[in-house]
Amino acid sequence: MNIIVIGLGQTLRGDDAAGLEAVRLWQEKYPQTARTVRVELAELPGLTLLDLLEDMDAAILVDAVHASAPAGTLTRLGPDDLAAFTPGSGSAHGWGVAETLHLGRSLYPWLTDVRVTLIGIVGEQFATGAGLSPQVQAALAEAVERIEAEVRSLL
Amino acid sequence: MKNIEVPALARVEGEGGLYIGVKDGKAVEIRLDIYEPPRFFEGFLVGRFLQEVPDITARICGICPVAYQMSSVTALEAALGIEISPEVYALRRLMYCGEFIESHALHIYMLQAPDLLDVPSALDLAAVAPEVVKNALRMKRIGNEILKAIGGRSVHPVNACVGGWYRWPEADSIQALLPELEWALESAKEAVNWSLSLPYPDLEIDYEFVAIHHPEEYGVMRGDVWSSKGSQLPVQEYETRYLEEHVQHSNALHSHTVEGGHYLVGPLARLNLNHEQLMPEAKQALKETQLQLPLKNPYKSLIARAIELAHFYAEAIALVKSYNPTGPAHVQLKLKAGEGCGMSEAPRGLLYHRYKIDDQGRVQFARIVPPTAQNLPRIEADLFAIAPQLVKMKHETATLTAEHLVRAYDPCISCATHFLKLKVENRE
Repeated sequence: MNIIVIGLGQTLRGDDAAGLEAVRLWQEKYPQTARTVRVELAELPGLTLLDLLEDMDAAILVDAVHASAPAGTLTRLGPDDLAAFTPGSGSAHGWGVAETLHLGRSLYPWLTDVRVTLIGIVGEQFATGAGLSPQVQAALAEAVERIEAEVRSLL
Repeated sequence: MKNIEVPALARVEGEGGLYIGVKDGKAVEIRLDIYEPPRFFEGFLVGRFLQEVPDITARICGICPVAYQMSSVTALEAALGIEISPEVYALRRLMYCGEFIESHALHIYMLQAPDLLDVPSALDLAAVAPEVVKNALRMKRIGNEILKAIGGRSVHPVNACVGGWYRWPEADSIQALLPELEWALESAKEAVNWSLSLPYPDLEIDYEFVAIHHPEEYGVMRGDVWSSKGSQLPVQEYETRYLEEHVQHSNALHSHTVEGGHYLVGPLARLNLNHEQLMPEAKQALKETQLQLPLKNPYKSLIARAIELAHFYAEAIALVKSYNPTGPAHVQLKLKAGEGCGMSEAPRGLLYHRYKIDDQGRVQFARIVPPTAQNLPRIEADLFAIAPQLVKMKHETATLTAEHLVRAYDPCISCATHFLKLKVENRE
């Protein structure tokens, strides 16, 4: 089974780095599991996210999310939840995960066969140059365990 | 007419607002307000070692990092009096091909075509013309692959350095690009035909076109600065004719010629000034369009981009086939105090850099003139040209029309935020 774990976000935008950081920490803590799958740290992949999903059976995306829940809350969106995403932006740089997956599904039938799951970490500060908020920092250990459990459920 | 506020201009990079002041049914003031302050980069560079400059300046833009790398290494090599080898230069051309391919494929299909086809976004274009968008993504992807093969990653590639490259890419990884490039060249020729079929608004402007010109190659990294008004200057004299000034409403400087005129840089300027230097495949594609040059319609820069796509695929094919690096990947630097300037053609136009360095190779002064700063006054002037129609339109139509014109330039206001507010104010 071809599995990819993708950390998404921007290191320079506060909590937006949560997905990248969580995947890095997971690689450090569980190197043996990490070696069995493909791992990518993708800062702003935009449309190239579709290239990363090609030839994969399953993908676990880890990203910071906006939500009404407190910062540091972990969420999980399964394939059905992600399929229900509607694009909210048509901007040049607005190719977020939802828009890209939406575009991909309309163009590539193979994408419906890729089991995409998203582990979301609710963030609260996204200003340029801000670091991770204490709440998000504290949530990373649990995010690491979620990634590990998600990958193991697929192996 | 009451004030109009529009929440967002999509598909433009950077944060800005558009203000239109109307009196007696006429537009009396138009300002493209730019809030984004990317020029602090020139301050960041002071005190840095020169070898850091290519990778720092590359961070100014996620779509044209290669342009920043190439303009900076060219300028710093001039400051040190370094000559690079033909092999180093050829690989720089190949990497630049990758950037043009990525940027142009994105702009043609994802940013401007939806305007011409009257759909809200590329997502909607994918719904009505999935094959067009699928091909577009495949055409764009080969640009990413070139950058990755040479620079390790497709966004903000590394490997370019003052004096050459940190290392030669493996020949296998370069040769592997060939099949997709050959497919893409054929697709680009079809894209040129497709671009002719699009409905362009009528607008002809008597532009002064400015671009790098080289007699033996399509001007990208070396040559002189040519103007359609007849000026031909070596890069060292760029600043004697092309000046920048601060205007109150913009954090990006505005350029003008020494005579005070606006000028246009970018694909239309390059095609009009350099079509003789196109690769044979692109020249043939241009010939078959039966277009009369110079092209003066800003919306038709899409056609120029399509022709350039054919050029850069063809050039990339030739460069990949001849890739056989020998000798050192970079020149050993001998540091000395000096000053140098360099320029290259970013996908959206001429990008000029000038640096002063001390005898330890530390930057003492940096000057960067990006293409969009040169085009901003020109965009405002073009908006003035269509303002009589704008003020008579319904709010929504006026906004879309103004947005489309701005987008046709592919402005790279910055990579920070993504909207432009349109405010039309009646001063009566």
